[in-house]
Amino acid sequence: MNLKTINIAHVRLISLYWSRYAVRSGSGLVYLMIALVFGLSVAHIIIMPVERLMALQKKQIGQANPQLIRKTIIDIGQPIIQFVLGIKSFEQVAKEAASSHLPLPNDTSKSAQSGNNAAGFDPWTNFLLEKKPALLSAVFLILIFGMPFVISFLAFNQISGDVQNHGLRYLLLRTERGNIFFGRFIGTTFFSTAVMAIIVATITFYLGMKIRIYPASDLAIWAVQGFLALAILMVPYIAVCSLISASVNSPFLSLVLAKVAIAGVLLMAILGSFAWKPAKYILYALPWGWQNNLLHPAPAHWLGAVFASLAYTAFFLTLGYIRFETRDL
Amino acid sequence: MNEEKRPGGLTALAVINFIFSGLYLFGLLGWIIIFLVIIGIIPTDQMNEIQKTQMEAFQELGIPVFIFILTLSLISSVLLLLSGIGYLKQKKFLGRNLGNLYAVIDIISSVISGIVLTAETGGGFTIMTMVGLIYPVLTLILLNTTFKEDLTN
Repeated sequence: MNLKTINIAHVRLISLYWSRYAVRSGSGLVYLMIALVFGLSVAHIIIMPVERLMALQKKQIGQANPQLIRKTIIDIGQPIIQFVLGIKSFEQVAKEAASSHLPLPNDTSKSAQSGNNAAGFDPWTNFLLEKKPALLSAVFLILIFGMPFVISFLAFNQISGDVQNHGLRYLLLRTERGNIFFGRFIGTTFFSTAVMAIIVATITFYLGMKIRIYPASDLAIWAVQGFLALAILMVPYIAVCSLISASVNSPFLSLVLAKVAIAGVLLMAILGSFAWKPAKYILYALPWGWQNNLLHPAPAHWLGAVFASLAYTAFFLTLGYIRFETRDL
Repeated sequence: MNEEKRPGGLTALAVINFIFSGLYLFGLLGWIIIFLVIIGIIPTDQMNEIQKTQMEAFQELGIPVFIFILTLSLISSVLLLLSGIGYLKQKKFLGRNLGNLYAVIDIISSVISGIVLTAETGGGFTIMTMVGLIYPVLTLILLNTTFKEDLTN
């Protein structure tokens, strides 16, 4: 094992080839379909009630009132966002929801217009709901939670398929193991980033052209930030899949182990915490524990989340590289 | 005889074609049932208010539009099945040409449905319209770029 065998030109060539021909493999195509359908379906679930509300307003008062719609979104979204971010527990949210009064869409009374939150939002919720387009924030939060489950469909077969069909030996005549390992990892990351860009661009375009309750500039800026958050978040998960793919001989086993690892950490933490509170820290074995901080307003938080992503990536990639370099093919 | 190895993506495309062909046939069944309601063969007595409103919206579309949508769905379903077989055998006409034809017809069908159908009948331009366009657009792009050299038999 020798880092000096890593050739940047080889890594670049392999990564470009891998990202360009990702869709030629069944896994790339399946990932593309699943990611696009999942991303746009999430957006549909979030946006559809708003469209219905706008249609109802047009019927009742002749036109849609963007300010009232934004306020309704904030009122409904606030307890949900606070629960998702871990700021409040489910019991607290349910208690507040039962005792609070939500204004109706065409309620123009003073109590509705002055705001119904006497306690005030925490800075994070305020940032996501009031300072940034709330609908896009909701979509990003769901994508940040859901995309780690999907990424394994793309990244599970970086090495294992070629090991199984003995195709790797022909590549190893021309380049080193390290170049293949890092080249394919980078190629997978490129492809995943491109797919994220398509999803975010489509949703933002739709919000801007059809819904029109947020200024285009606000949507564009937040879309870029959300896209970067998603793209950065995928990297450590791809690195986990690289490690698993480099360790096993079977692509199917690689997919199963990737799924078990990614979902298992989350499940173990949630279920384990019911029996033993410290079990919740199992979340930090993967980015689950801090990934929402990529959308935090404070630079210390989101920068910390970015560095944590890079640190996790470096850790898993190092393990994968050592395993791939030293194993018998 | 030198047989070219079929890429995994082409096999996946064929499998997805077969699945969608089956789903389209189910959808066609649904449209036929709605058609039978419109022409009075199936009564609406047991339906709730929302369903009755939807049936009335479908009735306003008119029979010719209905038949047009049914025909396009049937053609898409058949083309999906045939082109799926073509992908597996890597045939030029059966795979690439019919696959392109399916994609074009499906895109046109989605656009027309979005314009002609009202919101109550599942029409209008929504994000789900874009979800429906993903697969035909992807097919068009992949058949003419990534898998262009693989469908030559």
